[in-house]
Amino acid sequence: MMKKKRNDILVTGSILTSVMLLMILVGLFFLPYDPETMNIDLKFAGISWRHPFGCDNYGRDIFTRVMVGAKTTLLVAVGTVGIGAGAGVLIGAFTGYFGGWIDEVLMRVIDALFAFPSILLALVVVSLFDSEKNQVLSLLFGSGKYQVIIALGIAFIPSFARVVRSEYLKQREMDYVKNAKIMGCGHLRIMFVHILPNILSVLVPTLMIGFNNAVLAEAGMSYLGIGVQPPDASL
Amino acid sequence: MLEVRDLNIEFHDHSKPETVVYDFDLVMEEGDIVGIVGESGSGKTMSALAICGLLSRRDMKKRGQILFQGKELLTCSRQEMRELQGDDIAIIFQEPMTSLNPVMKIGWQVEEALKLHTNMTKEKRYERAIWALREAELPFPEKVYDQYPHELSGGMRQRVMIAAAIVCRPKILVADEPTTALDVTIQAEIIELLQKLNREYKTGILFISHDLSLVRKLCKRVVVMQNGYIVEQGNTEQIFGNPQKEYTKHLIAAIPGCDQVKEEKDFFHEEVVLSVKDICVSYYSSKGILGKKQEQEVLKGVDFTLHKGEVLGMVGESGCGKSTLAKVIVGLNKAYSGKLECEAGSVQMVFQDPYSSLNPRKTIGWILEEPLKVKGGYTKEQRRQKALSMLTKVGLDPEIANRYPGQLSGGQRQRVAIGLALMSEPKVLVADEPVSALDVTIQAQILDLLQRLKEEMGLAILFISHDLRVVYELCDHVIIMEKGKIVERGTPQKIYTSHEHPYTGELLKVAGIEKIAEKF
Repeated sequence: MMKKKRNDILVTGSILTSVMLLMILVGLFFLPYDPETMNIDLKFAGISWRHPFGCDNYGRDIFTRVMVGAKTTLLVAVGTVGIGAGAGVLIGAFTGYFGGWIDEVLMRVIDALFAFPSILLALVVVSLFDSEKNQVLSLLFGSGKYQVIIALGIAFIPSFARVVRSEYLKQREMDYVKNAKIMGCGHLRIMFVHILPNILSVLVPTLMIGFNNAVLAEAGMSYLGIGVQPPDASL
Repeated sequence: MLEVRDLNIEFHDHSKPETVVYDFDLVMEEGDIVGIVGESGSGKTMSALAICGLLSRRDMKKRGQILFQGKELLTCSRQEMRELQGDDIAIIFQEPMTSLNPVMKIGWQVEEALKLHTNMTKEKRYERAIWALREAELPFPEKVYDQYPHELSGGMRQRVMIAAAIVCRPKILVADEPTTALDVTIQAEIIELLQKLNREYKTGILFISHDLSLVRKLCKRVVVMQNGYIVEQGNTEQIFGNPQKEYTKHLIAAIPGCDQVKEEKDFFHEEVVLSVKDICVSYYSSKGILGKKQEQEVLKGVDFTLHKGEVLGMVGESGCGKSTLAKVIVGLNKAYSGKLECEAGSVQMVFQDPYSSLNPRKTIGWILEEPLKVKGGYTKEQRRQKALSMLTKVGLDPEIANRYPGQLSGGQRQRVAIGLALMSEPKVLVADEPVSALDVTIQAQILDLLQRLKEEMGLAILFISHDLRVVYELCDHVIIMEKGKIVERGTPQKIYTSHEHPYTGELLKVAGIEKIAEKF
């Protein structure tokens, strides 16, 4: 057996992530200031012991807003990747494993989605939620971050579906899959119990990159004014 | 011409240095054919790669001397080494599917060495490439020159590899298992081609193989290696005729032979467990979008019956339809016509490659329990118990149940694969080339295991193979297939001594056992 080496990258990453998570956790119970109360006297106040990150153009404490915003951003990232990867794995698994007409139809839809930049796609989805045009959807999901999560989640499906499909195409030809078929396993069992663990090495890095992209895309949408709506904070 | 003295190779990529080759000595004269034999992990490929200068200098420590025409290869500059590579020293690899660049034309790949090592003009290079392709006995070299690797068969690709290797007229050709991935008849042709090159151009050949009968046929001298050490070296006749060391004797004994006379068993009164009648399978391929669909018949009416306790050998080359037939029998291919009679769920299969037939992400225990889980009706303890006793049955330590397939050797994996097939207590076992990916000594062990399990469990085995000697040892009946048809059938005795179909004779000839009749 190979001796396990200490993984410096893992340790550094875990420390950084846990600082972030700790801040979010504390922010759930205790905040130094109200993140939304404006105070004109503190407009653009500099760094001080009372306001370690200073204040913004409305005189709100930036450190407090970072604590709150980190939560929103994490939620958006997890939600986006959750929806994108969940649906992407399902679509990719079915198209890659079965092939044939299911593959043709679903992949052409995915290709069409792929043709648009994900932000543009998210814009389209957000406009569907517009309360004046579609009351049911806007009632269900409200506005703000949940809209953003669903919009970005859908926009992220194609990239996950593509990766998962190509892996399933490769794996389904392996003899262990044939073995499982011969012993009488059902298709679903083969797809998700036998094959899925074998594509994790490809899927996990894709998830991590998806996380990054989700945070960036959310920031982009906020800049365009269709992301998380003020006075809600996000990073 | 080539002299290797006290070559030691050490890996340094982990904290602990690991020596893979110890004190390797070799002397090659001009026009010599030297064979290196040994099982996987014996260091034979490592030694050859070191001679070609293909081992990275960073992770390896090499001690000793490699002298090529008086020049020290281990200490010479990279520039000097590059000048030798492809010019005076050339190499052919095992896998012709991956050793050619799939996006480059054949001509480009054959000419590459000329571009690097000579100042030939374009026309000269073309002439030379065509010459090399013709030397490698490729039909229509001008046409092949403009083709891509995927348009050629495996045997043709290996010929292209040889053409690319000889285009600069190397003094030494290192051939690392060049025929292992090929069919037997093609193997024989490649061996003849190497012999011709050696005869006509005095090319020295360093032939690395685990196949002792090939080495015996081709090489003048043999080096036997085990665990990084040279066990024995000497003239071919001397090594094979009068081996000195225990290991060499062991290796030679493991070559499946056809020397014992087999008793003929009658199975007609036994229960029929599998009956195949007039099975036909066709594939359809369409050329272009509007092209007409082309029908290709893979199986043209195959029929046989298999009785309880019988081992039926099926022999043929790739493309003869034997794997397709196996798929039909186990139910992986349902697009067939004809009649297939067997009890549902009573047929299981063992695949050729034990590296792909076990799920790499599951433990051995999980893999073995899976058939019982699918079947249902067992408690967790019962499943575990059955899996462990199966491991003992196939000759493995039950403790490996917690390990992953990647932690086992090829032979151990094939034992697990056989155990897995037997978990659901089948009546018929379809074994598709179950030993061709294994070393000779492991081969012999797996064949013994199959023999024993057959007797213990009353299994019927359909044994698919291209190796006539293995088939002779194990099987009660043999069928020979060519192009989707059974061309001959009978007991091994009968087929090997008095065959009727010319194709059978050809197979026997390349297997080197055409003279078996004289023995009886």
